[in-house]
Amino acid sequence: MQYLIQLLVSGLAIGAIYGLIAMGFAVIYKSTGLVNFAQGEMTMIVAYVAWTISTTVSGNVFVVAIGAILAAIVLGFVIERVVMRPMLGEPVFATVMVTIGLAVILRSSINFIWDAYPHGLDIGVGRTIIRFGSIGVRTGQIAVIATLLLLLAAIWAFFRYGKFGIAMRAVAADDRTALLMGISATRVHAIAWAASSVIAGIAGVFFALSYDLSPAMFQLGLKAFPATILGGLDAVLGSGIGGLLIGITENLAGGYLGSGMKEVAGFAMIIVVLMIRPFGIFGERDIERV
Amino acid sequence: MIKYFATASLLLAGAYLAGGHALAADPGITDTEIVLGDVEPLTGPPALLGVAASIGHKIAIAETNSAGGINGRKIKYVLEDDGYVTARTIQGVRKVIDVDKVFAMLGISGSGQSIAVMPVLEKAGIPTVIDVAPVKFLWEPPRKNVFVVGQSYEEGIIHLVTYLAEKNPGRKWGLITQDDDYGITVRDGFDTVVKAKKLNVVYSGNYKKGQQDFSSDMLQLKESGAEVFLAGGIIGENIAMMKELEKLNIKPVVGIFWPGRVEPVLKLMGPPGDGIFAVDYVEPFAGAAGKAFLEKAKPLVSEAEFKGINRYTMSGYAAAKVLIAAIERCGKEPSWVCTIAELEKTRSVETGVMAPISFGPGVRFSNQKLQIMQAEFSTLSFKPVN
Amino acid sequence: MRSGDFKETYGELVALTDSKPVWLWSLMLVAALIVAPYLLNSYALSFLTIILITAVGALGLNILTGYTGLISLGHVGFLVTGAYAYAVVVSKYGMPPMVGFLAAGIVPALASLVVGAPSLRLKGLYLAITTLAFSFIINTVILEARTITNGARGISVQRPEIFGVSFDSDAAFTHLCLGFAIVTLFSTLNIRRSRVGRAFVAIRDNDTAAHVMGINLHAYKLFAFVTSAFITGIAGALYGIYLSFVSVEGFPFLLSIEALAILIVGGLGSALGAVLGTILIVLLPEATRMLFSLFSAQMDALFSTGAQELKSMLYGLVIILFLRFQPRGLVGAWHDIRRLWVNWPLRY
Repeated sequence: MQYLIQLLVSGLAIGAIYGLIAMGFAVIYKSTGLVNFAQGEMTMIVAYVAWTISTTVSGNVFVVAIGAILAAIVLGFVIERVVMRPMLGEPVFATVMVTIGLAVILRSSINFIWDAYPHGLDIGVGRTIIRFGSIGVRTGQIAVIATLLLLLAAIWAFFRYGKFGIAMRAVAADDRTALLMGISATRVHAIAWAASSVIAGIAGVFFALSYDLSPAMFQLGLKAFPATILGGLDAVLGSGIGGLLIGITENLAGGYLGSGMKEVAGFAMIIVVLMIRPFGIFGERDIERV
Repeated sequence: MIKYFATASLLLAGAYLAGGHALAADPGITDTEIVLGDVEPLTGPPALLGVAASIGHKIAIAETNSAGGINGRKIKYVLEDDGYVTARTIQGVRKVIDVDKVFAMLGISGSGQSIAVMPVLEKAGIPTVIDVAPVKFLWEPPRKNVFVVGQSYEEGIIHLVTYLAEKNPGRKWGLITQDDDYGITVRDGFDTVVKAKKLNVVYSGNYKKGQQDFSSDMLQLKESGAEVFLAGGIIGENIAMMKELEKLNIKPVVGIFWPGRVEPVLKLMGPPGDGIFAVDYVEPFAGAAGKAFLEKAKPLVSEAEFKGINRYTMSGYAAAKVLIAAIERCGKEPSWVCTIAELEKTRSVETGVMAPISFGPGVRFSNQKLQIMQAEFSTLSFKPVN
Repeated sequence: MRSGDFKETYGELVALTDSKPVWLWSLMLVAALIVAPYLLNSYALSFLTIILITAVGALGLNILTGYTGLISLGHVGFLVTGAYAYAVVVSKYGMPPMVGFLAAGIVPALASLVVGAPSLRLKGLYLAITTLAFSFIINTVILEARTITNGARGISVQRPEIFGVSFDSDAAFTHLCLGFAIVTLFSTLNIRRSRVGRAFVAIRDNDTAAHVMGINLHAYKLFAFVTSAFITGIAGALYGIYLSFVSVEGFPFLLSIEALAILIVGGLGSALGAVLGTILIVLLPEATRMLFSLFSAQMDALFSTGAQELKSMLYGLVIILFLRFQPRGLVGAWHDIRRLWVNWPLRY
């Protein structure tokens, strides 16, 4: 029993990180109709910036947190304005390829600006281990699960009731019509990229806290895509929950089936779910006109 | 009609300009220069190994050049990046041999990559000294022009596991390895000692390369009750494993392997990493020889490069010294035949960073002596035991 | 200047080209490629070989993604399956290389049936991630099936000897790859202009409408998967022979992304686009390296250990700029140049 609970707790912790990145992914898709292949790299860059802040300016957790959020907003705005704005109206495949090119640039910039060695993020909190019987969990891990749940609630409210949330859905449905209706598509895009960057950045910082900071961090993005698919591409809540599901499945498979099955279990689950619900668990069916 | 002539001449001009570079031949060894070539991963996560190895080569070359070069000729170092992708290693080696026309090679990237370029090196017949990833395939069977400095992964693991088994008799063992050719060599070495000493292995796991979360694996280790643990990860994996063990509140005796024996690892593991064992054939930086090496290196490299020095720098330095010594012994007109013969005659060459290096007729492997080290968190270094 | 382009028979309509000079130039290109291995040095020859092998793979992906519109992010799975099929059949069981190549096509084709069947209801990115999932599962299967595949140890592969002709030398191997590339190109073009190709394109453009018009979606989608996997598997076998060592390590996920990049940069939906995209993407790292080496001394001084990363950044930058200014890809650029050339000095 203890074994199972420990597996679940660890699974939720890593799943929360996947879920956050997946949510960032879904926010961009929901608002712009684009697939952002640079999500993992954006996570990595914000985490590295947070580390630089913690080592040069101050190690205080609030300073680092606010600094990281600001950096993420700036990163999102810059990427949207410089890279994505010129591609407005171009065929979707070309725009997706541009995000892949962006991913390559961001990935190389880590070695370029920082270095290839792993580093630890030290902000004074998150390391302490809390024990319930023989089950151990770090405060950082509890924090990331709590953050995910909080964000889930906040985003649900935002898209459901917020005027801007409705505007985002309008722009995703058809950006030219939305423009005709008086919605500033460019403003919506900019905010979507900034929001996505912030969410992914938070995930990156938590990951650096619980694990470490290294140039291989972008692989988290690879885990986040399946999470988004599982939950449904345009369902932000679904993506968060999808991330948790993948984390739990991975850990349970690793704990009961053996380490080699860890990665495969997550993917196998996705395939099974997609066979039953082709648009993800919470995704909406795409209606096409013939 | 004119259009066709215009097209044809444009195409021919383009082909000439493009092909001109490919058809050109460069001079090899000149009156003033000897060119040494290398292919390493200089970008991406493996860069910390590749860049460190290249810095080792650069230190040896700078040392020789400041003393007047090899019999009056300065050494030039040509370095290609392969990003740890095998196809690019093959291309890099071909470029360095055919286009840059280097005189000899050092390196060459990871184990899978050096295995893949063996046919190219053999066909070219160029004198090569390998220092980064010594695996048995590289010297078994011995190839005329390829020399390997270091110790095989299997031998290293056998040495470490034997030491731990002797110091911890009758305990339960756990092992986790990466699911690739590196992990297989670790597992092979481990299995050899298991058979020889009849070890009781209660946990044996493997993980896919790139895995970052080891919570379920370490939980399985805890459930199995293992008391001695061989962590077969490289860098990030070992760090994650130690942190999980800390969280689960178990403290087995831990051994790690030299590809992960870089000092930043200790910093990241934190106090749980204190007292873990490692094996290596190069001197630890905390020892006298290591400190002397750092003193020597400081004036010869830039500050950023100095920060990038780790144990791969030492192995690279040793290999470069051996190669340079052999070329030097060839006198005024070195040739491939002479260099290979002199490399074969290498006997007990001192490099200051490892045991003396020797090759021999039909022997293409230097079989370096190993030493066991233990990590000390308070000084963030590895200290030799005994 | 042409005043009218009238086709009078169905044959003329589906002909690959209606002008003799195009055939002439194509034959000259092939002749140049046959002679090239004897003129180029080993380094440039390696580029030519890689371009040819990658072109075969890209044409394979083109059938699935370009013609039928089914995005596949996991095509490297078929590549590695083909390589292993060839390696196991030829190196382990000692059968002749042609049987090896056949196996390299058939085994991935069968695997693609397994991949394609659950994917029939999926669209867009959902399909892409499913194929991605399958490529990871294929990797795991290969690593676990130790008795057949040697697990993580990999299998060593020799250059083949077919019908008594040894392809051991670099030039001969390039000729082999050239042969495969030409056969693949013609097969692809023939598929495109046949009934099957028209069905594929109909599915891509609007599959509900295609279904309404009587095209059996499931059958044709599976057929697209099978054909694409067959061709990609053969490319995988060639790649394995080139590396002379087949292991899961040598076929990283990066190749899938690269293949997609090739198609998009070349121009999605055309065989010419696949070939042009291959040439650009394979040569781009070399171009950035040459550009970089012009400034390398200054760069090394400024950035020291991280300087090499500038090459990768340049690579990403070129892709972004290219797509920004030419979203239709190289084929779009080619059509623009051709239009300019044909109509000059007039504008249209």
